[in-house]
This record gives sequence, C-alpha cells and structure tokens, in this order.
Amino acid sequence: MRVLLVEDEQRLTENIVAALREIGLAVDSALDGETGSHLAEQNIYDAIVLDLMLPGKSGQSVLRDLRQRAIHSPVLILTAQEGKESIIELLNAGADDYLSKPFDLGELLARVKALIRRGKGASTSILKMSDVELDTVHQTVLRQGQPIDLSPTEYRILEYLIHRPRAIVSKRELLEHLYDFAWEHHSNVIEAHVSNLRRKLNLPGTEPLIETLRHRGYRLSEGSAT
Amino acid sequence: MIAKSVSITRRLVVTVLLLELLSAAALVVAVTIHEHHIQLKTFDANLAVRAASLMGAVQDAEDKGDNVILDPRGVRLDKDAVYRVTDERGRVLGTAGDTTQLAESFADSPGFHDAKVGKRSYRFFVLHGVRIIDPGQPDGGTVHSIAVLYGIHAGRVWHEVIEAIRFFTLATVLLLGITAIVMVLLVRRYLSPIHELAHEADQISSRNWQFEAPASAKKTVELRPLTDALESALARVQRSFEQQKRFTSDAAHELKTDVAIVKSSLQLLSMRRRTAEEYSQGLAVSLDDFTRLESTVQKLLALARLEQHEESGETRSLCSLRNAVEEAVHLSRPLAELRRVEIMLDTLEDATVLIDGHDADLLCSNILINALQHSHEEGKVQITLIQREERIILTVKDWGEGISEEDRPHLLEPFYRGDISRSRKSGGTGLGLSICKAICDKAGGSIEISNHEAGGAVVTVSLPFADRQAASQRRSAWIKAE
Repeated sequence: MRVLLVEDEQRLTENIVAALREIGLAVDSALDGETGSHLAEQNIYDAIVLDLMLPGKSGQSVLRDLRQRAIHSPVLILTAQEGKESIIELLNAGADDYLSKPFDLGELLARVKALIRRGKGASTSILKMSDVELDTVHQTVLRQGQPIDLSPTEYRILEYLIHRPRAIVSKRELLEHLYDFAWEHHSNVIEAHVSNLRRKLNLPGTEPLIETLRHRGYRLSEGSAT
Repeated sequence: MIAKSVSITRRLVVTVLLLELLSAAALVVAVTIHEHHIQLKTFDANLAVRAASLMGAVQDAEDKGDNVILDPRGVRLDKDAVYRVTDERGRVLGTAGDTTQLAESFADSPGFHDAKVGKRSYRFFVLHGVRIIDPGQPDGGTVHSIAVLYGIHAGRVWHEVIEAIRFFTLATVLLLGITAIVMVLLVRRYLSPIHELAHEADQISSRNWQFEAPASAKKTVELRPLTDALESALARVQRSFEQQKRFTSDAAHELKTDVAIVKSSLQLLSMRRRTAEEYSQGLAVSLDDFTRLESTVQKLLALARLEQHEESGETRSLCSLRNAVEEAVHLSRPLAELRRVEIMLDTLEDATVLIDGHDADLLCSNILINALQHSHEEGKVQITLIQREERIILTVKDWGEGISEEDRPHLLEPFYRGDISRSRKSGGTGLGLSICKAICDKAGGSIEISNHEAGGAVVTVSLPFADRQAASQRRSAWIKAE
C-alpha cells in the first residue's frame, strides 16, 4: 500500500515517513501544497495524510481539488488549529478522518491503516480469501490454518491482491502501490517476488492461488474453494 | 469626590426660560413706556379737548361792558376735574376745585403741567385763547383774552398702563409654562440619539465587535465627532485584539508543531526494539527537536517580556551598541562560515543606548542571522554604525533576494515568514524580527526593512542616545500608550 504525506514541517515529515515505512507502507512526501496536490492527482495512493497549514497551497484547497477531480483516496487531516468548525467543514469537504497535533504516532498509524482498509471495502483487520487468512496488524498469513512465512514485499503483494479479488492487477499497478519514489524499481523485481509468493503459498494438494495472465498481470483466483 | 452631575436638558430648559423671562421683562418695560406714552397722549388730547370746550363755553355776558361769562352747562367735564377760567383782567369766570395756588404758579404759561392738588397728582392744560364779543360791530367787537386751566387726576394714565402690564405679565407666565413643557419634551426627543448611541455602544463586547452607530446619531451633527471617535477607537481596539488573538493562535500552532515533532521522534524510536546505535542516534535527534521547542518557548517568552508594560520603578540598564554588534558578529561566525558569507564591518561608531545588554545582543544577532540566512552562498553582509543627530543608526545590508513589497508591511509581525515556499524548512519561527521591533520600541527607537539599489535587503535600526534618557523614556511611554 502506498501513502502520500503532505506536511511542511521537515522533521515531522521525516518521523511520520519513517513510522509509516516501518509498518510496511510505501510512502511519498511533499513539503508544500502544490507538490502534494500534484502527486495526489496521479491517483496512485491508497491513503493521503494532509496537513492544513501548507505553504503554496492550503490543505483545504488540496483536498477540494482532489475531490473535484474525482480522486477518492481516503484523506486523513493533520491539524494544529483549534475549533470544531474547521473540522466539520473539512469532513464535509471530503476528508475521512482527522488528528490534531500533537498526535500519538501509534494512533496515526492505526488510523491510516483503517482508512486504507475502509478504502478497499474491508471492515476488519483480518482479510480472508478462500482458504487464505491475512492479519494486517501482525502481518501474518495463514493458509488452511498453517502459517506461511513471507518476506515484507511478498506480504505486501498478497495484501494488495487480496484487497482486489478476481480483478486483474497489472505489474505496473503493483509497482505503483508497493513502492514509493525512493525505490529504484523494475518490473522484473515484481516478477521475482510474485513467483516466490506463489511458491510459498502452494501447499501440497492445493490449487495455485495466483494466476498469471500473460502481458496483462496477475489475478487472485478463488481456486478450489469456490 | 464625585463631581456634581450636570443635565443638558435641565440646562437648556433653564437657559431658554431665563432668556424668555428676560425678554418678557424687557418687553414689559418697553410696553410700559410705550403704553404710558400713548395713554399720556390720549390723556393730553382729552385735556386739550376739554380745555377747548371750556374755552368754547365762554360767551357774551349780554351786559353793557361786553363782558364774558362761563356757562359750563353744555360742556361735558370729567368728574373730578379741576378748572379755572379767567379773562385778561384776572376775573375768574368759572372754577372748580382749589385752583388759586395753581393759577399763580403756571396759569401764564400755556401747555401741560403736572401738579398736586391736595395729595393727588393732577395734570393740567393751560389754554390761552381769544373770544371776540360782537364781532359784527363796526369797531370789530370787544376782544377778550381768556385763559383756561383744566386739570384732571393723572392716576387714570397709570391705571391704564398697569392694566396693560398685567395683561402682558399674565400672557408671559402662560407662555413660560407652555415653553417649559414643550422644551422638556422636545429636548428629550432631540437627545434620544444619545440614548440610542449608548444602547448600541453597550452591545460591544470582546466577542462582538460589531459597532455601527445608529443612523439617528450619525445624522446628528453634534454627535458625529462622538460616533466617529467611537468607531475609529473601536476599530483600533479590535485590530489590536485580533492581532493578539492571531498571535496566540500562531503561538499555539508553533508550539503544537514543535511538540508533535518531539513526541513523534520518541514514539518512532519506541515503535520496536532497536540496536543501541539506533537508540543513541534517535536520542540525539530527539534532543535536537527538543532544543528547537525550547528555543521557540524562549523566543515567545522574550517577546512577551518585551511587550509587557514597564513596571514602575524599573531601572533600565544601558549598554554600548558597538559591543553588542561585535558580540553578534562573533557569535554568528560559524553560521557565516557555513554559508560562506563574508561579514564586512564598516564604520563602527559607538553610542550608549537605553537597552539591556542581553536585549542588545539579541537585537544585533537576530538582525545579523536574518541577513546571513537570506544571503546567497559566498555573498556578503555589511554592517555600519553611524551617529546622526543624537541617534545611532545601525544598518545591516545583505545582497540576497531582498523583500517583496507585499511582505514589507508584515515583516515585523510575529510568525510572519516572508518566503512562504521555504517556510519552516529555512528554520526560524518568524519571531526574530518581532523581537527586534519590540526591543527598538522599548528603547524609543525604530526599525525598518527595505531594499537597497544593489539588490538585497537592508535593515535600519535607529536608537536615541541614552544620555537623553528622560526624553526617550517619555517617548517610549508614549509609544506604549499608543
């Protein structure tokens, strides 16, 4: 999952980015409203964390422009302002959640994860797909009740695919949502990770879970469970 | 002691009534004189007519000597009239009342005379006329010179005059009463804009600054200075109140952000178990973040201290501005070297100024650091200190971007950061120049920022010499009061 952080305070940005990356999210950050708006409009983020007092372009206008362009990424507002009016106004303008500064980093992470989940249509932190169970809090995967040991990237690929059952997910889409701009990435890296993931998920006597469609991408099939 | 309260209504009514009373009195006097004059004229005319009729009543006695007699039967005379008719030989033809004495005093001079008969004052008319007996005779008849003295009681004149005065007095009293009532009502009504204004002004509170003088008060010429003064005073108070509010909100924002950084740094560190090296690195970073929070707090406190009204009896210390500049240059060396900016010291004249040594250092180093931060790499900053007309002028010039016209009025406002795109990345809280302004204000000086021809900003600080301490103290008190 890929998150955009728009915050003008350099040190705060560094800390939030580091924390989000620690829980396995790909993070891009912008230090001003213009850049933030520009990045968000690419519509590749699964959640956006937005400060209000931004140089260049205020958080309010960034949010308004996003919603006007029909970009539905969940938005969490960070605010140091007092007053409920502005919060009501923001929620009405299309924000999904807010946190006031100084906030608790753990709470911020939990809220971002909840927003991503909600944005994908899931209401709990445990995702299920045929006989696969994925715990997004502890980042563990079970197949037929047996724990499967995945690398962080493999886990992220599975999490993304499980959020989009039966849909064909292109390599490009996977790249966009799993890596931030800080990474040097190539599509064959994805191929290697997907083939590892497929191998690890294959338990004896089970159908292959991940389908590869040539030139189109991958699909998580419901396999024998249907 | 509470001064005696004064009522405009009462004053106005009393003034108008007094004026009315005065004019009424003047009118009564004028009426008296006039009426007396008229009555006297009528009276005199009456006297003359009666005297003439008496004269007419003198007729031929039908005797040999061609004498004349008075036959008053056909003459209508006033009832208490006194008269005496004589002929040229002194023969009394007719008389009424005691007239002997009178005749002696003025019977020979025709015209009007006042005199007493008994104890009553009378007015007399003396008429000398000629009666000709038998004018048809060849010798032309006998000519008799007749003198008529006729007088009546003069009190009658005064009686008429007093009647007229009584009428006027009554009318005046009635008029005064009506005026008093109408005045009270009208004045009260005319003063109603004051009450409306007061009511409107009463609605003002720190939450509701809306003040629109009522139309009635605005229309009133006499109230206009008051409404104008009220409106502009309120606007000023509101502006400073809002400035204060913005300052508080900005300060809260600043502090919350700094606290958020410290908190997130520590929470990030404690998210999972880390190596000793990671911990020590994280702690060092957290300490830096904390230092930043501390410096924000210190700046806020400095500003609050400087902007506080001076305590009475506070002794203000003096310092040498040149020392402060040299200290600031010394302290800023590392930053200058880091940014490879050359600090050029030009003329450095000295003067003692009315600033605490610590504040003077703060002033100079804030300005210098500001200039260094806005200089290009390998640029230069020029400092001069010149005495001019009892003031010491400090200028700090840089060759950076300069300032934009739209930023210029706001540069000295707390938390204002000129270059918005750089904002917090450039460090600094936007309090430095506000602190400088507060220091200058306190010392009765001024600070301004402008661009110089060569491109770049120049900060000019002008401070009065401390030996003119009394004057400057007065001036700074005036600034505070403003």
